[in-house]
Amino acid sequence: MSPPVVFDSVEKIYASSKGRIHALGPVSLTFEPMATTAIVGPSGCGKSTLLRLMAGLERSSRGTILVGEKRVTDPLTDVGIVFQRDLLLDWRTVLDNTLLPAELKQLPRKEMVLRAQSLLNELGVGDFADRRPWELSGGMRQRVAIARALLCHPSLLLLDEPFSALDALTRDQMGVILQRAQGAERVTTLLITHSIQEAVLLSDRVLVMSGRPGRVLDDIAIPFPRPRPLSLRESPEFGAIAGRIRTLFEQTGVLAA
Amino acid sequence: MSVTPIEQGAPLADEESENAATGTNIALPLLSAIIGLGIWEGAVRFFEMPTYLLPAPSLVATILVQRWAILLEQFGYTAMASVVGLAIGLALGIGTGTAISASKIAERMLYPWLVITHAVPKVVVAPLLLVWIGFGVKAEIIFVIIFTFFPILVSTVTGLKSADPELLQLVRSMGGRKGQTLLKIRIPGALPSIFAGIKISATLAPVGAVVGEFVASNKGLGHLLVVAVGNFDVPIAFAAVTVISVFGIAIWYLAELLERLAIPWHASQRTTIAGT
Repeated sequence: MSPPVVFDSVEKIYASSKGRIHALGPVSLTFEPMATTAIVGPSGCGKSTLLRLMAGLERSSRGTILVGEKRVTDPLTDVGIVFQRDLLLDWRTVLDNTLLPAELKQLPRKEMVLRAQSLLNELGVGDFADRRPWELSGGMRQRVAIARALLCHPSLLLLDEPFSALDALTRDQMGVILQRAQGAERVTTLLITHSIQEAVLLSDRVLVMSGRPGRVLDDIAIPFPRPRPLSLRESPEFGAIAGRIRTLFEQTGVLAA
Repeated sequence: MSVTPIEQGAPLADEESENAATGTNIALPLLSAIIGLGIWEGAVRFFEMPTYLLPAPSLVATILVQRWAILLEQFGYTAMASVVGLAIGLALGIGTGTAISASKIAERMLYPWLVITHAVPKVVVAPLLLVWIGFGVKAEIIFVIIFTFFPILVSTVTGLKSADPELLQLVRSMGGRKGQTLLKIRIPGALPSIFAGIKISATLAPVGAVVGEFVASNKGLGHLLVVAVGNFDVPIAFAAVTVISVFGIAIWYLAELLERLAIPWHASQRTTIAGT
């Protein structure tokens, strides 16, 4: 089972030759196991920084991050990450791209091939296992990236604007696919997104961030049962939550009123 | 759960138009060469140029046939020095490039020396090599190494250092160690750049061998060229140049063939466009 993740007064300050940039915090948060938390906020508010801090890809300037009992000081190796770009390797087939984390962890190939093929089937790209990434569409490539992230049963799934480069229809399709995968895998998920609708539709909780330095403006529990159809976006309850987030952005000057 | 794929990569062109393109690719350069040779032949005959200044292509062809034995023998030395020197140059260049890109210490210690070495004009080094190593094939091979080492080194370093930082972070999050990252990510990703360097080095290898033969050998096509020009036997000099050129072209196409076999996945080698 996934452990809880705790951010305690975490701040991130970048130092450069042009001065210091206070990118994030302080933020104190607890991410419950198995839940999907979406973070929505303006560009440069530190959303992706928060994800990188959680993954151990960057170190916090102040405060502590705990995954379970363990303090995060180095890159975590039992996380699955999907970035905005799929980062698939052109010299590998879809199946071999999916198997990359298993190879790096030196897990038994035979067993992992079955797991990879099952994930690719689940995500709708099983028939393309022997193709190269460049033979696939953007949405299909991103599904392979999700399969790769889920392959080794990660304790955390970190999604950094995974659908932002896709067209609107493919984004909707990916939302449905992600929900199904989450239902099957039951992994603690952090979704970074610019889209209020995507955040509300896909998560159990939405954290609304302020502009830089990013702080949590609001913490909203999403009460809708799963699986959630795309038509949910047209319901008044969904509209009310999306409206609450939009109003916050208007009040803080992120969106013009 | 199953989802219908959105799109699939489509072939770039149908087979018929692809075959037509291949035909044009061969026919046009051939036609251009025939026209060029025709102009050359016509000019030599029309202006009645002496053979010690400019022999006609037909005479060069005749010499190639008549004196093939001596040309072949000398070509053997040049080709051997080119191939051995190229192999050593590539091994040293790729090895040093990998060390430089993997270690900051190696980079800081080796790079200044490499830049200084490369800045020294290679032809100036020729008489010194003659003093240090003496006449013979060893000097020739060292010349080829000097000519081929730097292009492959630079392309290896560039390729290995061009790995996407976000991809490297992703690999770290998968538990990838430095050696695994080098083998599974950096080296395959650097292959297109490495092959660009191999192609440049491959064409420089015969040049290095011939320059070596000019100054430090009594064998090979370079030596034959010097002797022929000294005796005003310009037709055989042209024949030697023709053989060297054909060898240079052949070694380039061999490198291209290896590239095609090694990196069929790269954008430059693909025959279909990406899915959208």
